[in-house]
Amino acid sequence: MQSYLYIALFAPLVSSLFAAIFAQQKKIQLVGIITSILIALSFFASVELLVYLMQTNKIVHATLFDWIVIGDMNVKFGFTVDHVTAVMMVVVTLVSALVHIYSNYYMEHDKSFNRFFSYLSAFVFSMLVLVMSDSFLGLFIGWEGVGVCSWLLIGFWYYKKDETRDVNPSISPSWAANEAFIMNRIADLGLLIGIFLIFWNVGSLKYNDFFAAIPNLNHGLLVAIGIALFIGAMGKSAQFPLHTWLADAMEGPTPVSALIHAATMVTAGVYLVIRANPLYSQIPGVGYFIAVLGTFVAIFAASMALVNRDLKRVIAYSTLSQLGYMFAAAGLGAYWVALFHLAAHAFFKALLFLSAGNVMHAMHDELDMFKMGGLKKYMAKTYLMMGIASLALSGIYPFAGFFSKDTILEVAFNEETYGIWFVLWFTAGLTAFYSFRQVFLVFHGDERFHELGIHPHEAKPYALWAMAPLAVLAVIAGFFKEEFVEFITKFLPPYEMSEHTEHLVWFFIIVTMGIALTGIFIAYKKYANGLRRDPKVENSFLYKLLFNQYYIPIFYEKAFAKPYKELSDIAWKEIDQEIVDATVDGIAKAVEVTGDVSRRAQNGNLSTYLKWMAFGLIFISLIALISVVVK
Amino acid sequence: MMPIAINYDALNLVTLAPMLVTLAGALLILIIDLIKPNLDKSLYVTLTILTLFIAFGATTSVKLNSRGLFDLILIDGISVLGNLIILIGSILFIPLALTKKRFHEFSYPEFFAMFLFMIFGFQFMVSSDNLILIFVGLETASLALYPLIAMHNTKPSIEAAVKYFTMGAMAAGFYAMGSAALYGLTGSVELHTIAQVFQERIHEAGSIIPIAGAALLLLVAIGFKVSLIPFHMWTPDAYEGAPAPMAGYMSIVPKIAMMVVAIRVFSLYFDLNITLIKYVIIALAIVTTTVSNMMALVQEDVKRMLAYSSISHAGFIMVAVALDSTKGYASIFMYYGLFLFTNLGAFAMLWISRRKTARFHERYHHPYEKFAGMIHKAPIAAVIMAIFMLSLAGVPPFSLFWGKLYVISAIVDKGYYTVALIMALNSAIAAYYYLKLIVYMFLKPAIVKDGQIVYANRTLALQTVIGFAAFVTITSIFYIQPLMSYITKLIVATHI
Repeated sequence: MQSYLYIALFAPLVSSLFAAIFAQQKKIQLVGIITSILIALSFFASVELLVYLMQTNKIVHATLFDWIVIGDMNVKFGFTVDHVTAVMMVVVTLVSALVHIYSNYYMEHDKSFNRFFSYLSAFVFSMLVLVMSDSFLGLFIGWEGVGVCSWLLIGFWYYKKDETRDVNPSISPSWAANEAFIMNRIADLGLLIGIFLIFWNVGSLKYNDFFAAIPNLNHGLLVAIGIALFIGAMGKSAQFPLHTWLADAMEGPTPVSALIHAATMVTAGVYLVIRANPLYSQIPGVGYFIAVLGTFVAIFAASMALVNRDLKRVIAYSTLSQLGYMFAAAGLGAYWVALFHLAAHAFFKALLFLSAGNVMHAMHDELDMFKMGGLKKYMAKTYLMMGIASLALSGIYPFAGFFSKDTILEVAFNEETYGIWFVLWFTAGLTAFYSFRQVFLVFHGDERFHELGIHPHEAKPYALWAMAPLAVLAVIAGFFKEEFVEFITKFLPPYEMSEHTEHLVWFFIIVTMGIALTGIFIAYKKYANGLRRDPKVENSFLYKLLFNQYYIPIFYEKAFAKPYKELSDIAWKEIDQEIVDATVDGIAKAVEVTGDVSRRAQNGNLSTYLKWMAFGLIFISLIALISVVVK
Repeated sequence: MMPIAINYDALNLVTLAPMLVTLAGALLILIIDLIKPNLDKSLYVTLTILTLFIAFGATTSVKLNSRGLFDLILIDGISVLGNLIILIGSILFIPLALTKKRFHEFSYPEFFAMFLFMIFGFQFMVSSDNLILIFVGLETASLALYPLIAMHNTKPSIEAAVKYFTMGAMAAGFYAMGSAALYGLTGSVELHTIAQVFQERIHEAGSIIPIAGAALLLLVAIGFKVSLIPFHMWTPDAYEGAPAPMAGYMSIVPKIAMMVVAIRVFSLYFDLNITLIKYVIIALAIVTTTVSNMMALVQEDVKRMLAYSSISHAGFIMVAVALDSTKGYASIFMYYGLFLFTNLGAFAMLWISRRKTARFHERYHHPYEKFAGMIHKAPIAAVIMAIFMLSLAGVPPFSLFWGKLYVISAIVDKGYYTVALIMALNSAIAAYYYLKLIVYMFLKPAIVKDGQIVYANRTLALQTVIGFAAFVTITSIFYIQPLMSYITKLIVATHI
């Protein structure tokens, strides 16, 4: 089984290196095909591992090599495939493989076609390192790796100029890439501190060693570690207040948004919390905080999605919101529920993004939904897919999102955290509303794009076929809930509903479905028959507040970026140039002057040379004398 | 009268084999020239390389720790290591004679014969603990080396040879005085006997002054040969006067030979716990490294810069002699083994661009300006040169990084933290002038029109040597561990 592990892990690396060879050259179609095949290979190996794990319930280990051996520190670079990892691997590689195939279509006219596939495969490799590692250090490597790949991919069109848009004073792919990277670096510091604390107190970074040591550690320390790790998770999963980068990351190519900023990388934070469940189950206080923050982010992000006109940003906010759901579940101790929602969400969110990609191509990269409309006539298949994805996202039975989201709501109720339950329930309604607002604005109503002179067209068949598996999964994934629970609870702690909750199951289904359907209905009423803009609403304070993302980007700009720049200016002009540079230059000058002086001794005169030799003897005798006297 | 009975087993002539091979090669070249003059130099180059290869084989096949020729010859670990470095350096050097431009010295078969005589001398130097035999070897080698420089037949080279000769004579005087003092004290010229006598007499009152004095006299001679400041004065002139590969060669082979002698002589003192010698050597090494670094900073010519940098490397490595530890001794050979390839490669890069007349500067052949913008004109050459520079600066993963690492860790192991710090700071200064060349090559606008200037003297032989040197420099990470354990094994086998 180890060979499957290696295949799953290294096929993407090979793929990335292969594409990298041709990175600087013109488009080579074969690169896209071969990388897609290699990622698919990784997927099949992952499935094989999952099946093996299902049948035998044996966890697969592999130690690659001794990585860092310094004194008593011996860090082995090892990988493990347990139940959580297997699920993550299958999800990651499946979505990756499909996105790779899809990218052949989406990037077909891009001049850096080969480079794109190199980055994309490198991301898959990093993500697999992240989920397959058996220690926090390996996780951190993968964590940074996906960060770098994310930076590369968001900034893929680095040559695009800065422009002013919406609330952002200036935005461009490279700006967004830097923002994402820097925000994540801030959060990574938290993760690093957590890792240091673990190593300091446990002496090992292996998950198993740490979890075994938890009973011996004092509570305060556990809380500190829990918080530190969660700060790392907040950055990667874009939780408030580090959420702004995710929406801006939509500057990257759409397949990237689908893979990285929806289905996989942003779920790394959730994965970390699930992975560290023995820790978080010991510190319910922190868990509760996570749940509350997740709940807040769920409604906070959903509210911004209500009014946004940018096709991709709406989906980005919905991702944020759904990540909030996952954290709420994980925080309340229902780890498998979080993982279940993570997997289901990956399928329908990737589908949603890829559909958006089709729309963008049809619309010549126009993203403003107010300029679309009536596209179902031209793109029936994409309409169908986006519809399925939106239904799943809204949590309508029998689509995948229904099962996972409904379970989260049950958990919130079961924990008697009725506030959380209510907010999440209400957010479900908002979710349904903005999802279908999007569908109706894009596909229904009057055809507003004619003014722009656009002639929409459906995507190529193979792109649609690449999306088809996701569509199927978005429909049926929920039905595997029982099997999933049976499989995953062999590893993760089971979560039992109380009898009281069990009795109310039907009530929940009805209530949840009710609000979701209400949301869809309102969206239908408002948007399905053409766009009617109401200036009064659009000028209202609330609308503006939401539209401008609560003015948080501006606040960050004013509160952090500006003062920091001024501080940097002072540090540069006053401190660096006046003090540091002057000192360094002074030393260099002194050295040079000394060199110049000693050069004069080298005057080419033989007699001088001979004198120097004689002097040398006196000199060393003197040193000898001094060393005797001093001793 | 009793006939003198000589036991041929005790002679153990096998120990002489490496030197005899070299000698035979040299004589063969002379004889060939007598029989048929005016043969092409490539024949002599081939013959020389062949001779050196056989000598190499002979060296590795001699049994370790054996003595021969009435106990005059001693083949131990350090002599084998010294011999190997000398032979490898020579094998790498001699193909550089096959240049495109015709240079005076290489057209004489005497050049190659003399070259082999010189190696013959070095081989004796490293393979004996008899002060007189060392002296004979040293002088044989030196007297052969002076004309090798002079044969370049330019005014600076003749001047350099004369200066080197004169100062060499004075250094020989110091060596003779030091040896005489030791003989006077102990009645022997063999280091192992001297050590025994010292062991008995060290506690006599007042003995320390002549004992230490002898060491200081020898140190002057050794310092001259490995060019420690202030006995280094000949070095920059000689390096400037000699052709570039010769300069690179002189910065390695004569020095490692003298290093072996230094190890033999001073380890004797360390065994007697005369620590003042340690301090003197370390002080000299620090002065050498620091001052030569500063002088290298202000040079305008790359070859002169490399000359001073070689001096600073010699100072750096001299510290390891004073450490009196296995790791310290091992790091000397490790360092020279790696330095050989990098430094000879760097000098060969200058050689490949050499013309008969200097075109960029009234005095210098290789001013920095010549290399400006080289990356645009001759990208491969620029990259290779940059690799050599980075290696000399001690940037990982290139070979000299490991050399520096071992030396500094050997220093730290002995607890000389200040010395280690000074050496590390010196490496930082050195990085400046190595990087200066890289800046010129990669960032400055080109003043030459085409790449030809860089390749003026190019031939396949030169390219092969440079390529091999670059290969060794780059791939060091793969062989460094086995190399170190091989050297350590030989050092441990030596009784020092």
